[in-house]
Amino acid sequence: MNRLLRISIPLIIICIVSGVTLTASYSLTEERIKAVEERTITEALSSIFPGASFTKTDDYYTALAQGEEIGYVFITEGKGFSGTIKTMVGMYPNDTISRIYVISQTETPGLGTRIAEPEFTNQFMGKRIEDLRLRRDGGLIDAITGATISSHAITEAVRTGAEVARNETR
Amino acid sequence: MDNLLAIAIGAIFVNNFILFKFLGLCPFFGVSKKTSSALGMGVAVIFVMTCASAITWPIYTYLLIPFEIEFMRTIIFILVIAAFVQLVEMIIRKYQPSLYKALGIYLPLITTNCAVLGVALVNLNERYSLIGSVVNGFSAGIGFTFALLLMSGIRERLELADVPKSFRNLPIAFITAALLGLAFMAFSGMRL
Amino acid sequence: MKLDELTKGLFKNNPVFYLVLGLCPLLAVSTSVDNAIGMSMGVLFVLAGSNVIISLLRHWIPPEVRIPCFIVVIASFVTIVDLFMHGYAPELHERLGIYVPLIVVNCIIFARAEAFASKKPVSASFLDGIGMSIGFMLAIVVIASCREILSTGKMIIFGYTLIPSFTQSPSVVMLLPPGAFLTIATIMALINYRHIRKERR
Repeated sequence: MNRLLRISIPLIIICIVSGVTLTASYSLTEERIKAVEERTITEALSSIFPGASFTKTDDYYTALAQGEEIGYVFITEGKGFSGTIKTMVGMYPNDTISRIYVISQTETPGLGTRIAEPEFTNQFMGKRIEDLRLRRDGGLIDAITGATISSHAITEAVRTGAEVARNETR
Repeated sequence: MDNLLAIAIGAIFVNNFILFKFLGLCPFFGVSKKTSSALGMGVAVIFVMTCASAITWPIYTYLLIPFEIEFMRTIIFILVIAAFVQLVEMIIRKYQPSLYKALGIYLPLITTNCAVLGVALVNLNERYSLIGSVVNGFSAGIGFTFALLLMSGIRERLELADVPKSFRNLPIAFITAALLGLAFMAFSGMRL
Repeated sequence: MKLDELTKGLFKNNPVFYLVLGLCPLLAVSTSVDNAIGMSMGVLFVLAGSNVIISLLRHWIPPEVRIPCFIVVIASFVTIVDLFMHGYAPELHERLGIYVPLIVVNCIIFARAEAFASKKPVSASFLDGIGMSIGFMLAIVVIASCREILSTGKMIIFGYTLIPSFTQSPSVVMLLPPGAFLTIATIMALINYRHIRKERR
Protein backbone atom coordinates (compact mmCIF):
# COMPACT_ATOMS: atom_id res chain seq x y z
CA MET A 1 0.00 0.00 0.00
CA ASN A 2 2.79 2.33 0.92
CA ARG A 3 4.62 1.51 -2.29
CA LEU A 4 1.50 2.07 -4.34
CA LEU A 5 1.17 5.51 -2.85
CA ARG A 6 4.80 6.28 -3.42
CA ILE A 7 4.63 5.54 -7.10
CA SER A 8 1.23 7.09 -7.67
CA ILE A 9 1.84 10.45 -6.07
CA PRO A 10 4.23 11.82 -8.71
CA LEU A 11 1.82 10.72 -11.41
CA ILE A 12 -1.10 12.35 -9.66
CA ILE A 13 0.82 15.57 -9.19
CA ILE A 14 1.78 15.62 -12.85
CA CYS A 15 -1.84 15.06 -13.82
CA ILE A 16 -3.01 17.90 -11.63
CA VAL A 17 -0.40 20.31 -12.95
CA SER A 18 -1.21 19.29 -16.50
CA GLY A 19 -4.92 19.72 -15.91
CA VAL A 20 -4.40 23.20 -14.54
CA THR A 21 -2.09 24.21 -17.38
CA LEU A 22 -4.47 22.94 -20.02
CA THR A 23 -7.49 24.60 -18.49
CA ALA A 24 -5.53 27.84 -18.40
CA SER A 25 -4.50 27.44 -22.04
CA TYR A 26 -8.06 26.72 -22.98
CA SER A 27 -9.40 29.82 -21.31
CA LEU A 28 -6.70 31.83 -23.03
CA THR A 29 -7.57 30.54 -26.46
CA GLU A 30 -11.28 29.85 -26.09
CA GLU A 31 -12.39 33.31 -27.11
CA ARG A 32 -10.12 33.43 -30.10
CA ILE A 33 -11.21 30.03 -31.34
CA LYS A 34 -14.86 31.02 -31.11
CA ALA A 35 -14.10 34.31 -32.84
CA VAL A 36 -12.34 32.49 -35.67
CA GLU A 37 -15.33 30.23 -36.21
CA GLU A 38 -17.77 33.10 -36.11
CA ARG A 39 -15.68 35.11 -38.53
CA THR A 40 -15.80 32.28 -41.06
CA ILE A 41 -19.57 32.18 -40.86
CA THR A 42 -19.90 35.93 -41.12
CA GLU A 43 -17.57 36.08 -44.11
CA ALA A 44 -19.50 33.32 -45.80
CA LEU A 45 -22.85 34.95 -45.16
CA SER A 46 -21.77 38.32 -46.45
CA SER A 47 -20.29 36.84 -49.60
CA ILE A 48 -23.56 35.10 -50.40
CA PHE A 49 -25.89 38.01 -49.77
CA PRO A 50 -23.67 41.10 -49.54
CA GLY A 51 -24.98 43.86 -47.39
CA ALA A 52 -27.84 41.87 -45.93
CA SER A 53 -28.58 41.23 -42.31
CA PHE A 54 -29.33 37.77 -41.08
CA THR A 55 -31.61 36.17 -38.56
CA LYS A 56 -31.10 32.60 -37.50
CA THR A 57 -33.99 30.15 -37.33
CA ASP A 58 -33.11 26.59 -36.29
CA ASP A 59 -31.18 25.20 -39.21
CA TYR A 60 -30.99 28.12 -41.54
CA TYR A 61 -30.50 31.87 -41.80
CA THR A 62 -32.95 34.30 -43.29
CA ALA A 63 -31.38 37.14 -45.21
CA LEU A 64 -33.03 40.52 -44.89
CA ALA A 65 -32.41 43.65 -46.87
CA GLN A 66 -34.37 46.78 -46.03
CA GLY A 67 -36.76 44.70 -43.99
CA GLU A 68 -37.58 42.31 -46.81
CA GLU A 69 -36.73 38.63 -46.96
CA ILE A 70 -34.43 38.27 -49.94
CA GLY A 71 -33.34 34.71 -49.40
CA TYR A 72 -32.27 31.91 -47.15
CA VAL A 73 -28.87 30.51 -46.26
CA PHE A 74 -28.13 27.05 -44.98
CA ILE A 75 -25.07 24.95 -44.34
CA THR A 76 -24.79 21.54 -45.88
CA GLU A 77 -22.21 18.84 -45.37
CA GLY A 78 -21.17 15.96 -47.58
CA LYS A 79 -18.51 13.31 -47.58
CA GLY A 80 -15.91 14.14 -50.19
CA PHE A 81 -12.86 12.31 -51.41
CA SER A 82 -11.02 12.74 -48.12
CA GLY A 83 -13.18 14.14 -45.40
CA THR A 84 -16.26 16.28 -45.00
CA ILE A 85 -16.99 19.21 -47.27
CA LYS A 86 -18.92 21.96 -45.53
CA THR A 87 -20.67 24.39 -47.81
CA MET A 88 -22.85 27.41 -47.19
CA VAL A 89 -25.61 27.80 -49.75
CA GLY A 90 -27.75 30.80 -50.48
CA MET A 91 -31.18 30.27 -51.92
CA TYR A 92 -33.79 32.71 -53.25
CA PRO A 93 -37.42 32.40 -52.19
CA ASN A 94 -38.18 30.94 -55.63
CA ASP A 95 -35.96 27.96 -54.78
CA THR A 96 -33.09 28.83 -57.09
CA ILE A 97 -29.56 28.99 -55.80
CA SER A 98 -27.99 32.39 -55.35
CA ARG A 99 -24.45 31.39 -54.48
CA ILE A 100 -22.39 28.81 -52.66
CA TYR A 101 -19.37 29.26 -50.44
CA VAL A 102 -17.14 26.41 -49.33
CA ILE A 103 -16.51 26.77 -45.61
CA SER A 104 -14.23 23.83 -45.06
CA GLN A 105 -12.85 20.93 -47.00
CA THR A 106 -9.78 18.70 -46.93
CA GLU A 107 -9.70 17.49 -50.50
CA THR A 108 -6.63 16.85 -52.59
CA PRO A 109 -4.70 20.09 -52.96
CA GLY A 110 -4.67 21.31 -56.53
CA LEU A 111 -7.48 19.03 -57.56
CA GLY A 112 -10.35 18.57 -55.19
CA THR A 113 -9.61 21.88 -53.51
CA ARG A 114 -10.63 23.60 -56.72
CA ILE A 115 -14.26 23.09 -55.82
CA ALA A 116 -13.82 26.15 -53.65
CA GLU A 117 -12.70 28.28 -56.57
CA PRO A 118 -15.09 30.72 -58.26
CA GLU A 119 -14.72 28.91 -61.59
CA PHE A 120 -16.54 25.97 -60.08
CA THR A 121 -18.79 27.63 -57.52
CA ASN A 122 -20.13 30.24 -59.92
CA GLN A 123 -21.80 27.43 -61.82
CA PHE A 124 -24.34 27.11 -59.03
CA MET A 125 -25.66 30.63 -59.44
CA GLY A 126 -29.23 30.75 -60.59
CA LYS A 127 -29.64 27.00 -60.90
CA ARG A 128 -32.88 25.33 -59.97
CA ILE A 129 -32.76 22.47 -57.52
CA GLU A 130 -33.49 19.92 -60.24
CA ASP A 131 -30.44 21.10 -62.21
CA LEU A 132 -28.10 20.48 -59.31
CA ARG A 133 -26.40 17.42 -60.65
CA LEU A 134 -23.24 16.79 -62.62
CA ARG A 135 -23.67 16.79 -66.38
CA ARG A 136 -23.02 13.08 -66.54
CA ASP A 137 -25.97 12.59 -64.19
CA GLY A 138 -28.26 14.75 -66.25
CA GLY A 139 -27.72 18.05 -64.52
CA LEU A 140 -26.04 21.31 -65.43
CA ILE A 141 -22.91 21.29 -63.26
CA ASP A 142 -19.55 20.60 -64.90
CA ALA A 143 -17.23 18.54 -62.77
CA ILE A 144 -13.59 19.45 -62.36
CA THR A 145 -11.39 17.24 -64.51
CA GLY A 146 -9.58 14.80 -62.27
CA ALA A 147 -11.74 15.65 -59.28
CA THR A 148 -15.03 14.04 -60.14
CA ILE A 149 -15.52 12.64 -56.69
CA SER A 150 -15.08 15.97 -54.96
CA SER A 151 -17.29 17.66 -57.58
CA HIS A 152 -19.97 15.03 -57.18
CA ALA A 153 -19.85 15.17 -53.40
CA ILE A 154 -20.35 18.89 -53.16
CA THR A 155 -23.06 18.92 -55.82
CA GLU A 156 -24.98 16.22 -54.00
CA ALA A 157 -24.58 18.03 -50.70
CA VAL A 158 -25.86 21.28 -52.14
CA ARG A 159 -28.84 19.62 -53.78
CA THR A 160 -29.95 17.57 -50.81
CA GLY A 161 -29.47 20.55 -48.53
CA ALA A 162 -31.52 22.70 -50.87
CA GLU A 163 -34.31 20.15 -50.93
CA VAL A 164 -34.44 20.15 -47.15
CA ALA A 165 -34.31 23.92 -47.01
CA ARG A 166 -37.06 24.21 -49.59
CA ASN A 167 -39.35 22.21 -47.31
CA GLU A 168 -38.35 24.08 -44.22
CA THR A 169 -38.85 27.52 -45.66
CA ARG A 170 -42.29 26.95 -47.10
CA MET B 1 -28.47 6.85 -38.48
CA ASP B 2 -25.12 5.85 -39.84
CA ASN B 3 -25.01 3.46 -42.71
CA LEU B 4 -23.03 0.71 -41.03
CA LEU B 5 -22.15 -1.15 -44.18
CA ALA B 6 -20.86 2.04 -45.76
CA ILE B 7 -18.76 2.73 -42.71
CA ALA B 8 -17.33 -0.77 -42.76
CA ILE B 9 -16.50 -0.87 -46.47
CA GLY B 10 -15.18 2.64 -46.21
CA ALA B 11 -12.81 1.83 -43.39
CA ILE B 12 -11.52 -1.36 -44.96
CA PHE B 13 -11.07 -0.32 -48.58
CA VAL B 14 -11.81 3.25 -49.45
CA ASN B 15 -10.17 4.96 -46.52
CA ASN B 16 -7.75 2.23 -45.58
CA PHE B 17 -5.95 3.43 -42.52
CA ILE B 18 -2.48 2.55 -43.69
CA LEU B 19 -2.63 3.11 -47.41
CA PHE B 20 -4.82 6.16 -47.40
CA LYS B 21 -4.74 7.86 -44.04
CA PHE B 22 -1.11 7.07 -43.22
CA LEU B 23 -2.03 5.86 -39.77
CA GLY B 24 -0.23 2.91 -38.28
CA LEU B 25 2.85 3.09 -40.43
CA CYS B 26 5.52 2.34 -37.81
CA PRO B 27 4.38 -1.20 -37.03
CA PHE B 28 3.46 -1.60 -40.67
CA PHE B 29 7.04 -1.46 -41.75
CA GLY B 30 8.48 -2.97 -38.62
CA VAL B 31 6.35 -6.06 -38.38
CA SER B 32 5.43 -6.91 -41.93
CA LYS B 33 8.43 -9.03 -42.77
CA LYS B 34 6.84 -12.30 -41.84
CA THR B 35 3.25 -13.28 -42.36
CA SER B 36 2.97 -14.96 -38.97
CA SER B 37 4.00 -11.88 -37.04
CA ALA B 38 1.84 -9.73 -39.31
CA LEU B 39 -1.17 -11.84 -38.45
CA GLY B 40 -0.43 -11.62 -34.75
CA MET B 41 -0.08 -7.86 -34.91
CA GLY B 42 -3.22 -7.59 -36.99
CA VAL B 43 -5.37 -9.50 -34.53
CA ALA B 44 -4.06 -7.47 -31.64
CA VAL B 45 -4.75 -4.24 -33.53
CA ILE B 46 -8.31 -5.23 -34.42
CA PHE B 47 -9.01 -6.02 -30.82
CA VAL B 48 -7.49 -2.81 -29.45
CA MET B 49 -9.06 -0.56 -32.08
CA THR B 50 -12.52 -1.97 -31.54
CA CYS B 51 -12.31 -1.68 -27.77
CA ALA B 52 -10.72 1.75 -27.98
CA SER B 53 -13.62 2.98 -30.09
CA ALA B 54 -16.10 1.42 -27.70
CA ILE B 55 -14.49 2.98 -24.65
CA THR B 56 -13.57 6.43 -25.88
CA TRP B 57 -16.95 7.25 -27.39
CA PRO B 58 -18.92 7.06 -24.12
CA ILE B 59 -16.17 8.93 -22.32
CA TYR B 60 -16.37 11.76 -24.82
CA THR B 61 -20.14 11.85 -25.03
CA TYR B 62 -21.03 11.41 -21.39
CA LEU B 63 -18.04 12.90 -19.65
CA LEU B 64 -16.19 15.43 -21.74
CA ILE B 65 -19.07 17.15 -23.50
CA PRO B 66 -21.30 17.71 -20.46
CA PHE B 67 -18.38 19.19 -18.55
CA GLU B 68 -17.29 21.18 -21.60
CA ILE B 69 -13.76 19.90 -21.51
CA GLU B 70 -13.60 18.51 -25.02
CA PHE B 71 -10.12 19.92 -25.39
CA MET B 72 -8.92 17.27 -22.94
CA ARG B 73 -9.79 14.53 -25.35
CA THR B 74 -6.27 13.96 -26.66
CA ILE B 75 -4.80 13.43 -23.26
CA ILE B 76 -7.69 11.43 -21.82
CA PHE B 77 -7.99 9.19 -24.87
CA ILE B 78 -4.34 8.32 -24.98
CA LEU B 79 -4.29 7.61 -21.25
CA VAL B 80 -7.35 5.42 -21.51
CA ILE B 81 -5.87 3.54 -24.44
CA ALA B 82 -2.56 3.05 -22.66
CA ALA B 83 -4.29 1.87 -19.50
CA PHE B 84 -6.50 -0.48 -21.44
CA VAL B 85 -3.61 -2.03 -23.30
CA GLN B 86 -1.69 -2.44 -20.07
CA LEU B 87 -4.67 -4.13 -18.48
CA VAL B 88 -5.17 -6.47 -21.40
CA GLU B 89 -1.51 -7.36 -21.39
CA MET B 90 -1.64 -8.24 -17.71
CA ILE B 91 -4.75 -10.35 -18.11
CA ILE B 92 -3.41 -12.25 -21.08
CA ARG B 93 -0.09 -12.85 -19.41
CA LYS B 94 -1.80 -14.31 -16.38
CA TYR B 95 -4.54 -16.40 -17.89
CA GLN B 96 -3.32 -17.35 -21.32
CA PRO B 97 0.48 -17.56 -21.32
CA SER B 98 0.53 -19.18 -24.75
CA LEU B 99 -1.50 -16.36 -26.21
CA TYR B 100 0.81 -13.91 -24.51
CA LYS B 101 3.80 -15.48 -26.16
CA ALA B 102 2.19 -15.08 -29.55
CA LEU B 103 0.68 -11.63 -29.18
CA GLY B 104 1.97 -10.05 -26.04
CA ILE B 105 4.97 -8.25 -27.39
CA TYR B 106 2.87 -6.36 -29.89
CA LEU B 107 0.53 -4.86 -27.35
CA PRO B 108 2.81 -2.17 -25.94
CA LEU B 109 3.72 -1.22 -29.51
CA ILE B 110 0.08 -0.62 -30.22
CA THR B 111 -0.27 1.99 -27.52
CA THR B 112 1.79 4.51 -29.43
CA ASN B 113 0.28 3.41 -32.68
CA CYS B 114 -1.20 6.35 -34.53
CA ALA B 115 -3.98 4.14 -35.81
CA VAL B 116 -5.60 3.51 -32.44
CA LEU B 117 -5.73 7.11 -31.31
CA GLY B 118 -6.46 8.04 -34.92
CA VAL B 119 -9.58 5.92 -35.14
CA ALA B 120 -10.87 7.30 -31.84
CA LEU B 121 -10.46 10.83 -33.19
CA VAL B 122 -11.98 9.97 -36.57
CA ASN B 123 -15.07 8.60 -34.82
CA LEU B 124 -15.51 11.99 -33.22
CA ASN B 125 -14.85 14.02 -36.34
CA GLU B 126 -17.31 12.07 -38.39
CA ARG B 127 -19.78 12.17 -35.52
CA TYR B 128 -20.63 8.50 -35.58
CA SER B 129 -22.96 6.95 -33.05
CA LEU B 130 -21.64 4.39 -30.60
CA ILE B 131 -22.43 1.50 -32.91
CA GLY B 132 -20.98 3.40 -35.83
CA SER B 133 -17.79 4.06 -33.91
CA VAL B 134 -17.38 0.43 -32.90
CA VAL B 135 -18.01 -0.74 -36.45
CA ASN B 136 -15.55 1.85 -37.71
CA GLY B 137 -12.93 0.74 -35.20
CA PHE B 138 -13.40 -2.90 -36.05
CA SER B 139 -13.37 -2.31 -39.80
CA ALA B 140 -10.37 -0.03 -39.60
CA GLY B 141 -8.57 -2.81 -37.78
CA ILE B 142 -9.58 -5.26 -40.48
CA GLY B 143 -8.37 -2.88 -43.15
CA PHE B 144 -5.09 -2.48 -41.30
CA THR B 145 -4.64 -6.23 -41.02
CA PHE B 146 -5.59 -6.71 -44.64
CA ALA B 147 -2.96 -4.25 -45.82
CA LEU B 148 -0.45 -5.70 -43.40
CA LEU B 149 -1.01 -9.25 -44.66
CA LEU B 150 -0.74 -8.17 -48.27
CA MET B 151 2.48 -6.39 -47.43
CA SER B 152 4.04 -9.28 -45.53
CA GLY B 153 3.16 -11.75 -48.25
CA ILE B 154 4.91 -9.59 -50.82
CA ARG B 155 7.88 -8.89 -48.60
CA GLU B 156 8.43 -12.56 -47.92
CA ARG B 157 8.72 -13.09 -51.64
CA LEU B 158 10.95 -10.05 -52.01
CA GLU B 159 13.45 -11.56 -49.63
CA LEU B 160 14.18 -14.11 -52.29
CA ALA B 161 14.22 -11.68 -55.17
CA ASP B 162 17.24 -9.88 -56.47
CA VAL B 163 16.66 -6.37 -55.23
CA PRO B 164 19.27 -3.69 -55.97
CA LYS B 165 21.42 -3.10 -52.93
CA SER B 166 20.32 0.45 -52.25
CA PHE B 167 16.70 -0.57 -52.29
CA ARG B 168 16.89 -3.48 -49.92
CA ASN B 169 14.75 -3.58 -46.82
CA LEU B 170 12.96 -0.25 -46.41
CA PRO B 171 12.97 1.47 -49.80
CA ILE B 172 11.53 -1.52 -51.61
CA ALA B 173 8.95 -1.86 -48.85
CA PHE B 174 7.86 1.72 -49.45
CA ILE B 175 7.63 1.13 -53.17
CA THR B 176 5.47 -1.90 -52.47
CA ALA B 177 3.28 0.26 -50.31
CA ALA B 178 3.04 2.77 -53.14
CA LEU B 179 1.85 0.08 -55.52
CA LEU B 180 -0.61 -1.27 -52.97
CA GLY B 181 -1.87 2.25 -52.43
CA LEU B 182 -2.38 2.72 -56.15
CA ALA B 183 -4.33 -0.51 -56.27
CA PHE B 184 -6.53 0.53 -53.37
CA MET B 185 -7.26 3.83 -55.02
CA ALA B 186 -9.47 1.91 -57.37
CA PHE B 187 -11.93 1.73 -54.50
CA SER B 188 -12.10 5.43 -54.02
CA GLY B 189 -15.09 5.97 -56.23
CA MET B 190 -17.30 3.52 -54.41
CA ARG B 191 -20.57 4.89 -53.20
CA LEU B 192 -23.03 2.96 -51.09
CA MET C 1 26.68 22.49 -23.38
CA LYS C 2 27.74 20.26 -26.15
CA LEU C 3 26.64 21.38 -29.56
CA ASP C 4 26.97 17.81 -30.66
CA GLU C 5 23.67 17.03 -29.03
CA LEU C 6 22.07 19.54 -31.31
CA THR C 7 23.70 18.55 -34.56
CA LYS C 8 23.44 14.82 -34.22
CA GLY C 9 19.75 14.98 -34.82
CA LEU C 10 20.29 16.57 -38.18
CA PHE C 11 22.15 13.96 -40.17
CA LYS C 12 23.91 11.24 -38.26
CA ASN C 13 20.92 10.35 -36.17
CA ASN C 14 18.18 11.83 -38.27
CA PRO C 15 15.01 10.59 -36.61
CA VAL C 16 13.26 9.84 -39.85
CA PHE C 17 15.88 8.33 -42.08
CA TYR C 18 17.98 6.58 -39.49
CA LEU C 19 15.78 5.83 -36.56
CA VAL C 20 12.76 5.39 -38.87
CA LEU C 21 10.45 7.17 -36.51
CA GLY C 22 7.62 9.58 -37.06
CA LEU C 23 6.48 8.19 -40.37
CA CYS C 24 2.75 8.77 -40.01
CA PRO C 25 2.71 12.56 -39.88
CA LEU C 26 5.64 12.73 -42.26
CA LEU C 27 3.83 11.24 -45.20
CA ALA C 28 0.42 12.61 -44.38
CA VAL C 29 1.39 16.22 -43.99
CA SER C 30 4.05 16.57 -46.67
CA THR C 31 1.62 17.59 -49.38
CA SER C 32 2.94 21.10 -49.35
CA VAL C 33 5.93 22.85 -47.91
CA ASP C 34 3.67 25.21 -45.96
CA ASN C 35 2.08 22.31 -44.14
CA ALA C 36 5.45 20.68 -43.56
CA ILE C 37 6.88 23.76 -41.88
CA GLY C 38 3.78 24.25 -39.78
CA MET C 39 3.82 20.69 -38.57
CA SER C 40 7.54 20.88 -37.77
CA MET C 41 6.97 23.92 -35.61
CA GLY C 42 4.36 22.00 -33.68
CA VAL C 43 6.65 19.02 -33.27
CA LEU C 44 9.51 21.26 -32.19
CA PHE C 45 7.46 22.86 -29.45
CA VAL C 46 6.24 19.52 -28.15
CA LEU C 47 9.55 17.70 -28.40
CA ALA C 48 11.66 20.44 -26.84
CA GLY C 49 9.08 21.13 -24.18
CA SER C 50 8.46 17.57 -23.16
CA ASN C 51 12.17 16.74 -23.22
CA VAL C 52 12.86 19.62 -20.86
CA ILE C 53 10.06 18.83 -18.45
CA ILE C 54 10.77 15.13 -18.38
CA SER C 55 14.44 15.79 -17.85
CA LEU C 56 13.65 18.17 -15.00
CA LEU C 57 11.46 15.57 -13.36
CA ARG C 58 13.60 12.57 -14.12
CA HIS C 59 14.67 11.95 -10.56
CA TRP C 60 11.15 12.08 -9.23
CA ILE C 61 9.36 9.85 -11.69
CA PRO C 62 9.22 6.26 -10.43
CA PRO C 63 10.11 3.82 -13.20
CA GLU C 64 6.88 1.88 -12.76
CA VAL C 65 4.72 4.79 -13.78
CA ARG C 66 7.07 6.47 -16.18
CA ILE C 67 5.02 5.64 -19.27
CA PRO C 68 1.83 7.28 -18.01
CA CYS C 69 3.88 10.24 -16.78
CA PHE C 70 5.50 10.69 -20.18
CA ILE C 71 2.11 10.40 -21.83
CA VAL C 72 0.57 13.07 -19.65
CA VAL C 73 3.44 15.49 -20.21
CA ILE C 74 3.61 14.95 -23.96
CA ALA C 75 -0.17 15.02 -24.38
CA SER C 76 -0.37 18.27 -22.44
CA PHE C 77 2.09 19.96 -24.76
CA VAL C 78 0.25 18.61 -27.76
CA THR C 79 -3.06 19.93 -26.50
CA ILE C 80 -1.50 23.34 -25.91
CA VAL C 81 -0.18 23.37 -29.49
CA ASP C 82 -3.58 22.24 -30.76
CA LEU C 83 -5.44 25.00 -28.93
CA PHE C 84 -3.08 27.80 -29.89
CA MET C 85 -2.88 26.69 -33.49
CA HIS C 86 -6.65 26.61 -33.69
CA GLY C 87 -6.87 30.12 -32.34
CA TYR C 88 -3.93 31.78 -34.04
CA ALA C 89 -3.33 29.82 -37.24
CA PRO C 90 -6.75 28.43 -38.15
CA GLU C 91 -5.99 27.64 -41.80
CA LEU C 92 -2.93 25.62 -40.85
CA HIS C 93 -4.91 23.89 -38.13
CA GLU C 94 -7.59 22.91 -40.59
CA ARG C 95 -5.12 21.64 -43.19
CA LEU C 96 -3.23 19.55 -40.64
CA GLY C 97 -6.46 18.16 -39.22
CA ILE C 98 -6.21 15.17 -36.93
CA TYR C 99 -2.46 15.01 -37.37
CA VAL C 100 -2.04 17.73 -34.76
CA PRO C 101 -3.42 15.70 -31.85
CA LEU C 102 -1.63 12.72 -33.36
CA ILE C 103 1.68 14.38 -32.55
CA VAL C 104 1.22 12.77 -29.16
CA VAL C 105 1.80 9.34 -30.66
CA ASN C 106 4.62 10.52 -32.84
CA CYS C 107 7.17 7.84 -32.12
CA ILE C 108 9.99 10.38 -32.16
CA ILE C 109 8.80 12.23 -29.09
CA PHE C 110 8.13 9.15 -27.07
CA ALA C 111 11.38 7.49 -28.06
CA ARG C 112 13.44 10.54 -27.10
CA ALA C 113 11.67 10.83 -23.78
CA GLU C 114 12.38 7.21 -22.96
CA ALA C 115 15.88 6.93 -24.33
CA PHE C 116 17.27 10.34 -23.58
CA ALA C 117 15.36 12.91 -21.60
CA SER C 118 14.69 10.59 -18.71
CA LYS C 119 18.38 10.03 -18.25
CA LYS C 120 20.22 13.13 -19.27
CA PRO C 121 20.41 16.65 -17.83
CA VAL C 122 18.12 19.43 -18.90
CA SER C 123 20.42 21.35 -21.22
CA ALA C 124 21.37 18.23 -23.17
CA SER C 125 17.75 17.15 -23.39
CA PHE C 126 16.71 20.55 -24.62
CA LEU C 127 19.33 20.54 -27.36
CA ASP C 128 18.45 16.98 -28.27
CA GLY C 129 14.83 17.96 -28.64
CA ILE C 130 15.66 20.91 -30.85
CA GLY C 131 18.11 18.88 -32.91
CA MET C 132 15.73 16.02 -33.50
CA SER C 133 12.95 18.42 -34.45
CA ILE C 134 15.14 20.17 -36.96
CA GLY C 135 16.11 16.78 -38.36
CA PHE C 136 12.45 15.96 -38.69
CA MET C 137 11.82 19.30 -40.33
CA LEU C 138 14.59 18.70 -42.83
CA ALA C 139 13.12 15.35 -43.75
CA ILE C 140 9.56 16.52 -44.06
CA VAL C 141 10.43 19.69 -45.98
CA VAL C 142 12.54 17.74 -48.47
CA ILE C 143 9.73 15.30 -49.08
CA ALA C 144 7.14 18.05 -49.24
CA SER C 145 9.22 20.00 -51.74
CA CYS C 146 9.46 17.01 -54.04
CA ARG C 147 5.78 16.28 -53.78
CA GLU C 148 4.67 19.84 -54.19
CA ILE C 149 6.91 20.65 -57.13
CA LEU C 150 6.19 17.44 -58.97
CA SER C 151 2.47 17.57 -58.40
CA THR C 152 1.62 21.22 -58.91
CA GLY C 153 4.62 22.44 -60.83
CA LYS C 154 5.22 25.23 -58.39
CA MET C 155 6.14 25.93 -54.81
CA ILE C 156 4.30 28.42 -52.67
CA ILE C 157 5.49 29.23 -49.18
CA PHE C 158 3.48 31.61 -47.02
CA GLY C 159 2.05 33.18 -50.14
CA TYR C 160 5.36 33.73 -51.91
CA THR C 161 5.71 31.78 -55.12
CA LEU C 162 9.18 30.40 -54.90
CA ILE C 163 9.17 28.47 -58.11
CA PRO C 164 6.66 29.46 -60.73
CA SER C 165 4.73 26.93 -62.79
CA PHE C 166 6.96 25.23 -65.24
CA THR C 167 4.78 22.52 -66.58
CA GLN C 168 1.25 22.16 -67.83
CA SER C 169 0.69 18.59 -66.79
CA PRO C 170 2.12 17.95 -63.37
CA SER C 171 2.10 14.53 -61.84
CA VAL C 172 -0.79 14.64 -59.41
CA VAL C 173 -0.19 11.19 -58.05
CA MET C 174 2.63 12.64 -55.98
CA LEU C 175 0.10 14.32 -53.77
CA LEU C 176 -1.74 11.11 -53.16
CA PRO C 177 -0.56 8.35 -50.85
CA PRO C 178 1.34 6.33 -53.46
CA GLY C 179 3.39 9.38 -54.34
CA ALA C 180 4.35 9.86 -50.72
CA PHE C 181 5.59 6.31 -50.45
CA LEU C 182 7.50 6.64 -53.70
CA THR C 183 9.24 9.81 -52.58
CA ILE C 184 10.46 8.43 -49.33
CA ALA C 185 11.51 5.20 -51.01
CA THR C 186 13.67 7.12 -53.46
CA ILE C 187 15.27 9.27 -50.79
CA MET C 188 16.04 6.30 -48.60
CA ALA C 189 17.48 4.42 -51.54
CA LEU C 190 19.72 7.38 -52.32
CA ILE C 191 20.95 7.49 -48.74
CA ASN C 192 21.60 3.76 -48.77
CA TYR C 193 23.48 4.14 -52.01
CA ARG C 194 25.74 6.80 -50.48
CA HIS C 195 26.38 4.51 -47.56
CA ILE C 196 27.27 1.55 -49.67
CA ARG C 197 29.71 3.57 -51.71
CA LYS C 198 31.31 4.93 -48.57
CA GLU C 199 31.78 1.45 -47.22
CA ARG C 200 33.38 0.25 -50.39
CA ARG C 201 36.20 2.73 -50.11
